Amino acid sequence: MSFGQAISSRRQLLAGAGAALGVTLLPWRAQAEEARLNVYNWDTYIGATTLETFAAATGVSVQYDLFASNEELFAKLQAGNPGYDVIVPSDYMIESMIALDMLVPLDHAQLPNLRHLDPDPNFSDPAFNPGNRFAVPYLWGTMGIGYRKSAGPRPDSWATVFESDAYAGRIALLDDPRAMLGMALKYLGYSMNSIDAAQIAAARDVIIAAKPRIKTFAPDSGQDMLLAGDVDLAVEWSGDIVQVMQEDPDLDYVIPSQGGSVWMDTLAIPKGAPHLENAHAFINHIYDPAVNAEIARITRYPTPNLAAKALIDVADRDNPAIYPPAEVIATSETLIDVGDAARLYDEAWTVIQAA
Amino acid sequence: MSAVDYGRRGWVRLMLVAGFIFLYFPILSLIVFSFNDSKRNVTWRGFTLAYYEKALANESLHQALSNSLLIAGWTTVVATVIGTMLGLSLQRYRFRGKGVFESWVHLPIVVPEVCFGVALMVFFAAIRLPLGLTTVILSHIAFSIPFVAVVIRARMASFDPALEEAAHDLGASRWQSFRHVTLPHLMVGIVASALLVATLSLDDFVITFFTSGPGATTLPLKIYSMARFSVTPEINAASTVLMALTVMLVLGAVAIQTRWRR
Amino acid sequence: MESWRRDKAGFTILTLPASVWLLLFFTLPLTLVWVYSFGERGPHGQTEFTVSLANYIRALEWIHLGVIWKSLMIAVVVMLICLVLGFPMALGIAFAAPRWRTPLLVLVMLPFWTNLLVRTYAWVAVLRDRGHINGVLEWLHGLLGGAPEAFEPLPLLYNQTAVMIGLVHVHLPFLVLPLYAAMARLDWQLLEASLDLGANQWRTLRSVLLPLVMPGLVTGCLLVFVLALGSFLTPDLLGGTDSMMIGNLIAREFGGARDWPFGAALSFLLVYAAFAALWLRASLGGGRA
Repeated sequence: MSFGQAISSRRQLLAGAGAALGVTLLPWRAQAEEARLNVYNWDTYIGATTLETFAAATGVSVQYDLFASNEELFAKLQAGNPGYDVIVPSDYMIESMIALDMLVPLDHAQLPNLRHLDPDPNFSDPAFNPGNRFAVPYLWGTMGIGYRKSAGPRPDSWATVFESDAYAGRIALLDDPRAMLGMALKYLGYSMNSIDAAQIAAARDVIIAAKPRIKTFAPDSGQDMLLAGDVDLAVEWSGDIVQVMQEDPDLDYVIPSQGGSVWMDTLAIPKGAPHLENAHAFINHIYDPAVNAEIARITRYPTPNLAAKALIDVADRDNPAIYPPAEVIATSETLIDVGDAARLYDEAWTVIQAA
Repeated sequence: MSAVDYGRRGWVRLMLVAGFIFLYFPILSLIVFSFNDSKRNVTWRGFTLAYYEKALANESLHQALSNSLLIAGWTTVVATVIGTMLGLSLQRYRFRGKGVFESWVHLPIVVPEVCFGVALMVFFAAIRLPLGLTTVILSHIAFSIPFVAVVIRARMASFDPALEEAAHDLGASRWQSFRHVTLPHLMVGIVASALLVATLSLDDFVITFFTSGPGATTLPLKIYSMARFSVTPEINAASTVLMALTVMLVLGAVAIQTRWRR
Repeated sequence: MESWRRDKAGFTILTLPASVWLLLFFTLPLTLVWVYSFGERGPHGQTEFTVSLANYIRALEWIHLGVIWKSLMIAVVVMLICLVLGFPMALGIAFAAPRWRTPLLVLVMLPFWTNLLVRTYAWVAVLRDRGHINGVLEWLHGLLGGAPEAFEPLPLLYNQTAVMIGLVHVHLPFLVLPLYAAMARLDWQLLEASLDLGANQWRTLRSVLLPLVMPGLVTGCLLVFVLALGSFLTPDLLGGTDSMMIGNLIAREFGGARDWPFGAALSFLLVYAAFAALWLRASLGGGRA
């Protein structure tokens, strides 16, 4: 055949092949993810319009379920993912999940809005999740002391909680073994992630000695007790105290000189998630500055998204309870998983409760 | 009044009233504070219906409610039937190993709910049954059966088996003697256990928590996660609405029953 | 009671469905967790399967036995209070005019269609320092001429008293219902006969009524006891620094501590003991219904 015929027949061949390929690909494209998404998050931990704007932008409807602790999340996923696409674990839980191969590595190419993330290595390259490979930061915060200003001195040291009589009988501690033992450890000058049995025992004894002055161990209601006047001092998460500070100006939040704890919640995709594309789209949506600013405004937690931070209320940005100054953060620590030493903390807590 | 009429005795009436005051005091507080105009619902700040609006507009609450009702419905029907049969069997028959069997059948009541819940969750994962409404219903029926058996047995303890035998001797078939002699006596027990199962199912938290999946949130689960973060009057409003619905449902059932009897 | 052989078909029909269900959705799952109790907690909170009695040995440590003992005591007290409160209630409902019975029963059950958590928070609102009870007491105090600052609120919350109040409130219907079921349609003639023969009301109640409703009573008491023993939400929310029950410990092991093997061992300790108690009761009870 002539050259021209060869080319045209080649073109026809290619066209035919292309068509054939297109036809075989077509059903594959038509089987692209259904427009659904299953999100598993903490309660009151999202903006008022986040889900609606997402549905409007992508046409994906969101099934939004709630959990109340990292351990609940872990328990649900440990035996196999029941169908969740996006989860919101805390920092120390991510460590365990990565080690147990429970997460899908994120495709950063599908997350262009990630460029708005604070480049500070704590956010962009945390030790528990290098390169943000398996999760990206969502919101963060601190743990410290909420107190009633008119009821006693400003608790600038953990001694006010553990040793002093200033608030005797009007104190609520957090019902969280790692958190409270961690704070007692910091009070004694140790690390909150200590795996030394003697140090943990010393921290345990500090809390036992303080028990007569403590009203109760509150699982999550310390801020309500503060507001109701049941206690005048509560060890609590920053966001909870900020929320009650809005209702009662006599309340305040402080991180003692020995430091408190800094935590971060993240967005991740568990293995076995049925809607990977939609999950990435949702995470990307949350990183949109306007959306993120709205989330920050509603939840009153600090956001690691710089572009969003520029859009929030000046009052919130300057509020040290929400955005603590760098010196304060420097003294605080992040909770890390302590592996087998977890049992030491658990047993210490049992002794404290039974004492 | 008949000397036996305990219902009219002063001390019985007093204790009945005292008991109901004890049961309802916090409930009334709950209802009153559902109208409280305060986000954290600690002190009374004023009257508002805003939280009712919020609760009634809350789609996830609707979903949770319908899930709970669906689950409770299925559970009540299946568990009451199966459990009644079991209770009858235990009351009626002698067999080797009955002691062990009886203990085994009552075991679900004794096992700590957390342990039972985790066990079910692990089991469903092992047989690759995805967690959702089905697994919740299967689990609820499992923990309800022993309760029904227990109530039915207690009820049948006051039944004289000679009556059924007499009917049989007089020519009735086994089924007829059962239906016309035993069943009427049993009815009270069946109704009582159905009520019990419905309540257990509607209010169950722990086992449901471990066996539910995406979209299978029940009312207790939903309220639990709402309450963990802030005890707003919305929760009170939702609970009040639920109670009102229940009362209307029961009044309706009673009305139908009286009309049917006539 | 007859031997099952005389009516094999009836026996099978009545017993099979429940047995199959419980086997599939109770025994099998629990066996899986039973295997867990011999396992070990991995460094990340996952369960590693070994064959080890370490968890049971740890569960039998003095401190854990102490927690179990305390929980048993609380459960017994709760059961007794429910009995004292619930017996007259069941009596009142069973002997009420027929048209009042169902509504009264429903009234007893209604609080239980409210979510447990919400009810417990309602108790918090009632018992707290500035709650309803103390509010009324404070008003009375003022009425009687006391100075406002001199008023000391009653410490009704965040202690064992509050936990027991909460537990009684939650478990009352578990006693009332079976007891009512046993009392309803009781042969009044037996009671009347007793009175005619000269016994007074109390004697009749004690010697005639009580034995007749004993199965229902025992059922109710056992239910309350067992359920109160395993509860953890109520002590969690209403209790203070001295109120940890075995339910809290087990919940924590399956939850925050992520030590499922140990949680399983603790749970099964309770299960073994209960199984033994139930078996004992069934064997001693003989063939009696």
